Amino acid sequence: MRKRLTGLLAGIGLSLACSTSVFAQELTIFWAEWDPANYLQELANEYEKETGVKVTVETTPWADFQTKAFTEFNAKGSAYDMVVGDSQWIGAASEAGHYVDLTEFFNKHKLNETMAPATVKYYAEYPSNSGKYWSVPAEGDAVGWSYRKDWFEDPKEMEAFKAKYGYDLAPPKTWKELRDIAEFFHRPDEKRYGIAIYTDNSYDGLVMGVENAIFSYGGELGDYATYKVDGIINSEKNVKALEVYKELYKFTPPGWAKTFFVENNQAITENLAAMSMNYFAFFPALVNEASNPNAKVTGFFANPAGPDGDQYAALGGQGISIVSYSENQEEAFKFLEWFVKDETQKKWADLGGYTCNKSVLESAEFQNATPYNKAFYDTMFKVKDFWATPEYAELLIQMNQRIYPYITGDQGTAKEALDNLAADWNATFKKYNRVQN
Amino acid sequence: MAAVTTSTERTLNKLAIAGVLIVTLIFLAPIYWIASTAFKPRNLSTTIPPTVVFTPEVSPFVKLFTKRSQLRSPPTPEEYAAAPWWERMVFDGGEKVVRDGKGNVQWSGYPSRFMNSLIVATISTILAVGMGTLTAYGFSRFKVKGEGDLLFFILSTRMLPPVVVAIPMFLMYRTFGLNDTHIGLIILYTAFNLSFSVWLMKGFMDEIPKEYEEAALVDGYTRMQAFFKVVLPEAATGIAATAVFCFITAWNEYAFALIMTNRRAQTAPPFIPSQVGSGLPDWTVIAAGTLLFLLPVAIFTFLLRNHLLRGVTFGAIRK
Amino acid sequence: MATAVLTTLDPKSRAASRGMSDLAIRNLFIIPTILFLIIFNIFPLLYSLGYSFTDFRASGTGQTNFVGLQNYRTLLNDPFIWNNFAITAKYVIVSVVGQVLVGFGTAMLLNRSIPFKGLLTTLLLLPMMLSMAVVGLFWKLLYDPSFGIINYALGLGTFEWLSNPSMALYAVAITDIWMWSPFVMLLSLAGLSAVPKHLYEAAAIDRAGPFYTFFRITLPLVAPILMIAIIFRTMEAFKTFDLAYVLTSQPTTELISIRLYKMAFQEWQTGLSCAFAYIVLIMVLAITNIYVKYLNKVKER
Repeated sequence: MRKRLTGLLAGIGLSLACSTSVFAQELTIFWAEWDPANYLQELANEYEKETGVKVTVETTPWADFQTKAFTEFNAKGSAYDMVVGDSQWIGAASEAGHYVDLTEFFNKHKLNETMAPATVKYYAEYPSNSGKYWSVPAEGDAVGWSYRKDWFEDPKEMEAFKAKYGYDLAPPKTWKELRDIAEFFHRPDEKRYGIAIYTDNSYDGLVMGVENAIFSYGGELGDYATYKVDGIINSEKNVKALEVYKELYKFTPPGWAKTFFVENNQAITENLAAMSMNYFAFFPALVNEASNPNAKVTGFFANPAGPDGDQYAALGGQGISIVSYSENQEEAFKFLEWFVKDETQKKWADLGGYTCNKSVLESAEFQNATPYNKAFYDTMFKVKDFWATPEYAELLIQMNQRIYPYITGDQGTAKEALDNLAADWNATFKKYNRVQN
Repeated sequence: MAAVTTSTERTLNKLAIAGVLIVTLIFLAPIYWIASTAFKPRNLSTTIPPTVVFTPEVSPFVKLFTKRSQLRSPPTPEEYAAAPWWERMVFDGGEKVVRDGKGNVQWSGYPSRFMNSLIVATISTILAVGMGTLTAYGFSRFKVKGEGDLLFFILSTRMLPPVVVAIPMFLMYRTFGLNDTHIGLIILYTAFNLSFSVWLMKGFMDEIPKEYEEAALVDGYTRMQAFFKVVLPEAATGIAATAVFCFITAWNEYAFALIMTNRRAQTAPPFIPSQVGSGLPDWTVIAAGTLLFLLPVAIFTFLLRNHLLRGVTFGAIRK
Repeated sequence: MATAVLTTLDPKSRAASRGMSDLAIRNLFIIPTILFLIIFNIFPLLYSLGYSFTDFRASGTGQTNFVGLQNYRTLLNDPFIWNNFAITAKYVIVSVVGQVLVGFGTAMLLNRSIPFKGLLTTLLLLPMMLSMAVVGLFWKLLYDPSFGIINYALGLGTFEWLSNPSMALYAVAITDIWMWSPFVMLLSLAGLSAVPKHLYEAAAIDRAGPFYTFFRITLPLVAPILMIAIIFRTMEAFKTFDLAYVLTSQPTTELISIRLYKMAFQEWQTGLSCAFAYIVLIMVLAITNIYVKYLNKVKER
């Protein structure tokens, strides 16, 4: 009996192991677990209808996404034919040969002209201005904010706010206003809190949250061309930005020390916070009444400007790349040809994907499709991104190690944290011979 | 314990009963919470005060097994009317079931991950217990040079944190193409459980009087026959207990599965957390996945509970 | 250790002339296991010993250089790493002590004439059947300051279990205690039920107090099996990865395994992480050796 059972199980195992590679008419795309991945699956099902080629979108949580993708790449595994990879991976993945060079494909389809400039610059090209392309911009994304309209528009609140701060309560235009409003609504006794921000240090959550402050305060992470960081990452402006971010942390709901998009959406649905930072791609859940009881009273605004009027947001979003170890590269190219067609891009936007296609983005139809599409469109022209060098993962961990204890643990000062970070980064760049001293 | 005689004893016993009940309640509360969340409507899963009384639903299980996507506009009344009952549940949750190009409902990754877990845990348990039993017998009955050192060596292979082993294994598997395969994971889990299995089984083997085999040998059995016909039946309890422990370890292992598998051979533990939901966490689905995943071990343990208790008692006492 | 060694059969005897020789059977039974463990445990470790002296990166195509002891020097001079070790030590102590107290205490309670003892014991074993990763995920919900049932049940308001840097490690340890006390309980129960009754009866006749009975009779007799439980739990706690990894990402809960995982599979500093793995390996072996020596001493008494 036991023997038969073993044989049976081994048989199932074997057939499971084989079945995936036998049919060439199947493609697998790897992405993170979020709504756009489900939309992409729906889009891919259209492709199956047209061509008979089955495309499956496999997902993993954001926290593991990078690790999973790179363990697979570094194992030279063929589990995935395409990957919708983060923008900062492109240096590491292209230099190590994980991605297929798409330059020819890119030029042939003139994607330079049809896709929004920021998406080409950050998702597709590496090194900067080299004219070499590694992916097709697929999902544009950036950080925006959601807020509780009912709290903001309550006459009593408006009056009290005006009396305290001397100006009208409205969605903030500057980081100063953002801070004031967060402070105003922060009422722990009423179980109401001011603001929800990213603090998760396991991947790039916290770093992207801080980037929003840094970029809008007019700061930079470093000179991406010369790898100079000292005096840039620890500049006066960045110190201020980091201090503001830490101050915002005081106005967050309790237990806000490992939060990313899920928690930040929850802050709105569970009546925890007045405002919440999040990627645009996570907003569908907030306008859906079944998942957000406050859907009707949830509003959206773009990342506010800094003290000098700079207004930038941290870039999210991804491009689709073909994995070099895929056994179905030809089929993958066919899929991409279909994907970049204007009508596919339009369909993609209809399904809920954030197309990077300029003409679709500019259409009134797209901009009016949801309460936040307009804010998204505006933001996509003022985005900046993290380092995309092959050693970005180390840079990210170092940044988390330095700023996380400062923001959530109240350790040291912003200046110390950033000075130490500058030293860490400089040492890392020296190690990889990017800089000499 | 001796029969209850004095009144102090009786009070003490009552206190002990109360204590045990309290401890049991505390220990079972989180499990009860998982089980009850698995049948809750989504909006009741995070209420304060916590929802205890509610109409149970199977929608978390429907969601667990299907691929869904966020609705961007409510379904039309016709769509809703035409949908089967389970699809309506998904509609009610503000999502729709994704259908592939042929119009078939798409399954979520859960069933295949569950299958992978079954395959990997079962085969590796059989291998580890099988090899462990033989080796334990060998150590128990024959003179082995440097026995103590060898046993310590065997035990030491289990002390290493999985991540320590995973680094070289990853490089080795890369060379042989074993990453993300069932065989790769089975080998890892077998190696991992083998040391435990040898140690536990040796305790049981030592318990079995050698006179049994000697009698069998005198009766004309070969040593091999004596092992299979006399020793193994005697060791059944120990084998069952060892198998439960090995199965639980393999079934629940996370670190190796996280690092060494991806799409094809991934087991359920690294997969269930990925069902957190896309824009908002859906605890009911996680609870449903957890509950289903707990069932096989719970059943296995329950069926073998007498062996387990007796087995551990036996093996551990005289080691 | 019991040494129920059969005397080797007389080669000329009847039994020995049939079937395989004892030696052959012994080798057949033992050698495959040893080989299997060598191939899949020792060989990879030797492989990584080599890498620990290089700056090899499994992610890169670049050249690999021999760097001597540089990796070890870097690691031992890194304050973050020392901190990881300190955190791990604290975690191991808190969680193992907690498990022994809760587990042994419960076993003492159960070691009386309790109705439905078998059923209760089986139910108590349920937590350790669960997957740590999945449990961790769910405990996040239980610990949630705004809508978790723990704060609600204990009336703690919005107490921050996981995001308070100084509390987070204890929160992880509490979950671990919940999961693994049943294991200690099971082994303790086995030990307790093996204490000969006549010893207690003798103590009762001598009018010995409960403390005397406990420290002079119960504890010494249960000690060896309790030591086994402690050894296993210490080893497991030292290895903890999944629970802490899923529950929080506080720097104050960054156990060795987590740091190592990040170094090896996120930063891809393969050479450096191999060296790190070796440092961990040596520590584990040292700890276990001390334990085993102590265990043997306890047993001799």
